[in-house]
Amino acid sequence: MSDLDEFKVTYFDECSELLGELEEIFAVIELGDRDSARINAAFRAVHSIKGGAGAFGFSALVEFAHGYETLMDQVRDGRVSMSDDVVTLCIRANDLLADFVGAARSDAPLAAEHGLAEKLQMAALAEGQAIDGELDDFDFDFTPIAVDLGKDEAETKIEVHTDQFADAPSTDLDGQWEISFRPHAALYARANDPLLLFRELAALGHMSVQAQMLDLPPLADFEPFGVYCLWTISLVSPDLTEAMIREVFEFVEGDCDISVVRLGEQTGTGENDVTVQVAISATDVLDPNINDFLMLSDDEIGAMIEFGEPDDLREAPLVGQETVGASIPQEAIAAGPEAGIPEPTSAKPIVELADEGDRRAVGVQSIRVDLEKVDRVVNMVGELVITQSMLTQQMDETLRTQYTELVRGLEVLAQTTRGLQDSVMAIRAQPVKSVFSRMPRLVRELGLKTGKTIKLEMVGEATEIDKTVIEQLSDPLTHMIRNSADHGIESGAVRLAAGKPEAGTIRLGAEQAGGNILITIEDDGAGINRERVLQVARSRGVVAPDADPTDEQIDQLIFAPGFSTAEAVSDISGRGVGMDVVLSNIRKIGGSVNVRSRPGRGTRMTLRLPLTLAVLDVMLVQVGQSRYVVPLSSIVETIQCSRAAFSRVPSGGQVLHVRGEYVQVIDLAERFELDGARDAESRFLVLCEAEGSHKIALIVDDIMGQQQVVIKSLEENFERVEGIAGGTILGDGNVALIVDVQGLKASDPHRTAA
Amino acid sequence: MMEALDMRDDAVDQSAIAAQNALQLIAFSIGEQTYGVEITTVREIRAWNGATPLPNTRDYVRGVINLRGTIVPIFDLRARFGDGKTTPTKNHVVVVMSVGNKWVGILVDAVSDILTVSRDDIHNVPEGNSIDTELLNGIVTHEGRMVGLIDLLAVVSSARADA
Repeated sequence: MSDLDEFKVTYFDECSELLGELEEIFAVIELGDRDSARINAAFRAVHSIKGGAGAFGFSALVEFAHGYETLMDQVRDGRVSMSDDVVTLCIRANDLLADFVGAARSDAPLAAEHGLAEKLQMAALAEGQAIDGELDDFDFDFTPIAVDLGKDEAETKIEVHTDQFADAPSTDLDGQWEISFRPHAALYARANDPLLLFRELAALGHMSVQAQMLDLPPLADFEPFGVYCLWTISLVSPDLTEAMIREVFEFVEGDCDISVVRLGEQTGTGENDVTVQVAISATDVLDPNINDFLMLSDDEIGAMIEFGEPDDLREAPLVGQETVGASIPQEAIAAGPEAGIPEPTSAKPIVELADEGDRRAVGVQSIRVDLEKVDRVVNMVGELVITQSMLTQQMDETLRTQYTELVRGLEVLAQTTRGLQDSVMAIRAQPVKSVFSRMPRLVRELGLKTGKTIKLEMVGEATEIDKTVIEQLSDPLTHMIRNSADHGIESGAVRLAAGKPEAGTIRLGAEQAGGNILITIEDDGAGINRERVLQVARSRGVVAPDADPTDEQIDQLIFAPGFSTAEAVSDISGRGVGMDVVLSNIRKIGGSVNVRSRPGRGTRMTLRLPLTLAVLDVMLVQVGQSRYVVPLSSIVETIQCSRAAFSRVPSGGQVLHVRGEYVQVIDLAERFELDGARDAESRFLVLCEAEGSHKIALIVDDIMGQQQVVIKSLEENFERVEGIAGGTILGDGNVALIVDVQGLKASDPHRTAA
Repeated sequence: MMEALDMRDDAVDQSAIAAQNALQLIAFSIGEQTYGVEITTVREIRAWNGATPLPNTRDYVRGVINLRGTIVPIFDLRARFGDGKTTPTKNHVVVVMSVGNKWVGILVDAVSDILTVSRDDIHNVPEGNSIDTELLNGIVTHEGRMVGLIDLLAVVSSARADA
C-alpha cells in the first residue's frame, strides 16, 4: 500500500465520521434547534470532506461538496435562512454526499445526473441571496503551497503601521483592526500554515504582520515542532467586520489564541497601548450582538467579560484591561469547568459555546484501532477466562488448605480476568446512537410519503452495545419503524376523530437490563387489528382453523413467515410486512422480539438483545456421555420429568402440558442419537422459547449448572451441523456443543421416529 | 496440491531438481496398511485424548477437539475407508493437518516414519474400487511396502451429507 493509499484510507475513515456527524447535527437542527454553533459545525464537516477530496482529486465529490458548502456558508452568514425546505435539502444533500464519498471510495463514478437536481437547488438558493462570492477564492485553495509573503505585504506593513492610528479619534469608522494570533503546537500538528491564513487576511485589506519571538531558545534547545512565535497583525479596511476576520481563522479555532480588536474603538487614554484580549469562541461569530459588543469601550468590554450580562454594565466595577487579557485566554475558558478553575457564573454562556466549538480539540482522546486487532484481544481474553476457570476447578479442598497463597493468587487472578474481560468488551461497545441517529430522517421521509405527521422521540441513545450487535440492528429497526409509521399510526383525520393529537408519535428507546439491552419501538397508533390478523393467519394456514389463540399469540403472529409476502396483509391496519425478517435478524444475534398491542392505543415492540456476542450465558446439561450447553437467553424454565405432564400425539412424539399450553418435546439423546441411559424419571425438561412465543421442551439427562462461555465456530474448521449452533470450550479443556434451539424446532420433529 | 508441487518442478535451477523431485511424507498406519501425507501439510501430532461427538454427522466424524482454543474436527480414517470405527486407546494418534484454510485431525493407529520418496515413483491408483481412487492421490513404494498417498480434501469432504 503506497503512502497515498494509506492517506486515502484515513480520509475515508474521517469521511464516515464526518458524515455521521452531519447526520447527527441535522437531526438536531431538524427538531428546530437552529443554533449557529451547529450550523458552523455542519459547515466545517462539509468543508473538511471537500478539502480532502480536493487533495485526492475526487472532482465529482469536490463539486458536489462545494455546492453544499456554499449553501451552508450562506446559511451561517444568515444570508439564507434555515427554513424547513433548506433543512430537508441539506438532509438530502447529506445522503448524496455519502453517495459521492462511497463512489470515490469504490472508484465507481456515479451517473452524471446523480444529485444534479439538488446541486442546482442548492446553487439557486445560494446565489439568489448571495451578497458576494469572495469566499469562493478561499474555498478552492486546498493545496498548501510554500509561497513567500512577497514584497507587497512587507511594504504594506510600513504603510499602515499601528502607531499611525494610535491617536485616531474613537469616532473614526474606518476600521483598523489589530489581531493577535498565537498558534498552539496543535495547529501545526494539523498541518495548518499561518502563512496561508495571512494571505487570506491580506485579501481583506491592507495588512501588516509582525512576528514576535517569544523566548526563542538557543539552537541547541530548539524544538523543531515547538511554538516560538506569535504574530500581531494590523489590518485596515473600511468595511471590515470582526466576523470576516474570524472567518479566516475558523478552521484553526481552538488550536490558537486569537484576539481581534478594533483600534478605532479605543478611548485614547494613556493605558490604551495594552491590547485587550477578548476571548471569543468561533461560535460567537454569528452572534448578532457582536457589533454592539465591539462598540463598547474596552472598560465596558472588560466588565462584560467578567460579568457576562450587559445589564450589569453600569453597576459593574471596572476591571483593568491587563487583568482581563491575562485571566481569560481561550483555553482556560474551554477547560474551565473541567479544570475546576473558578468561573464567574455569569460567564457561563461563553463557556458552553467555547466548549462546543472546541470539542474536537479538548474532547475525549481516541485512537483508531483496526477492529480485527480488538477481536484478537477479545478472543484471547476469552481463552484467559477459560483457563482461569479451569485453574479454579482444579483446586480441591486439600490443595486449598495446603497452598493458601496459591488460592489467594487465583482469586486475584479471577478478579483481574473479569475486569479485563469487562474492559475489553467495553472497547467494542458503542452507543446505539449510531443507529438511532439514522431514524429521524427515516421517520421524516415516511411522514412525507404517507402524508401523516409523525414525531419521533428517542431516549437512551447513549446505551452501549457490542459493535457487532449494533451493525445488525439497523435493518430490523428500520423495518419496525416503517411498520409503525405505515400501519400503526393512523392518518391525521382518523386520529383527531379518535380524540388523539393529530401528530402521531413513535418512541424509540434503549436501556440496559441486566445482561441484555432492551430496545423499544412504541407508537400511539391504532394497535394491531387482531381480528384481521387472525383471519389472514387462518386463511394462510399459519393458524389451524379450530385454534383459538390468545391476544398475545395473535400479536406474535405478525412475525410468522407467511405474513411477509402477501399484499393483502399490508392493507390491513395491523402490521406484517417483513416482520419475519426482523425476527430472524434479531434471532441471529441471539435476541428476541416481543410485541404488545392495545387496540386504539398503540403498539410496543421490544427487542431484547445480548450485550455482547462474544460471551454467552449458558446452562450446562448432560446428555448421554456428552455435555451440551443451552443459551440461557432462550430458556424459560426447567422442570423435573417426574413432575411433568406428557401426552402422546398421533405422530408418536410427545407433547408437554405446561401452564395451559401444549409444547413439543424433543429428547436430545434421541435427536442426537446418544445413549441416554438414565432413568426417565430423573431426567429434566428444559423449556425453551424458540420462535416468538413458540416453545419447545428439551429432555436432558441432567442439569449441571450455569456459566459463561466463549462461542467458537464449528464452521471455521468444519461445517454447519444440524441442531448445533456452535461449540465452546469448557473449563477442563473439552469441547461442549451449543444446542441450536431454533434449529431443532425447524428440523423435522418426526425424524427420530423413522 | 499436486499441481502446486508440479509447478515447482519448472524451476530452472538444475542443482535443485533432485531435491525438488523428492517428496517427504509422514507415514502412519491403519492396521497393517501404511498411508502417507505430505509432510508440509502436517501441523502437529497428538495422542488421542477423546473428542466430543458431533450429532447428525457421518460415522467417520469422530467429533471435535479443542486445539488451543480452536475447535478442530477429527476424522476416523479407518471408518472413512469403510473398515468400521476405530476403537481408540491412548496409543492412538491424531495427525492435525491443514487442508485449504481449515485444520482437521485424522485419527490413525500410529505414526511410523518420515519417508523421502521421488515424485517419479508415484504410481496411479489402479482403477477399480471407487473408494481407492477417491481417497488416494497415488501409490508409492517404500522399502517394499506400499504407501497410499491420502487425498485429504476427499477425506474431509461431504462429512455431513445424508448421515
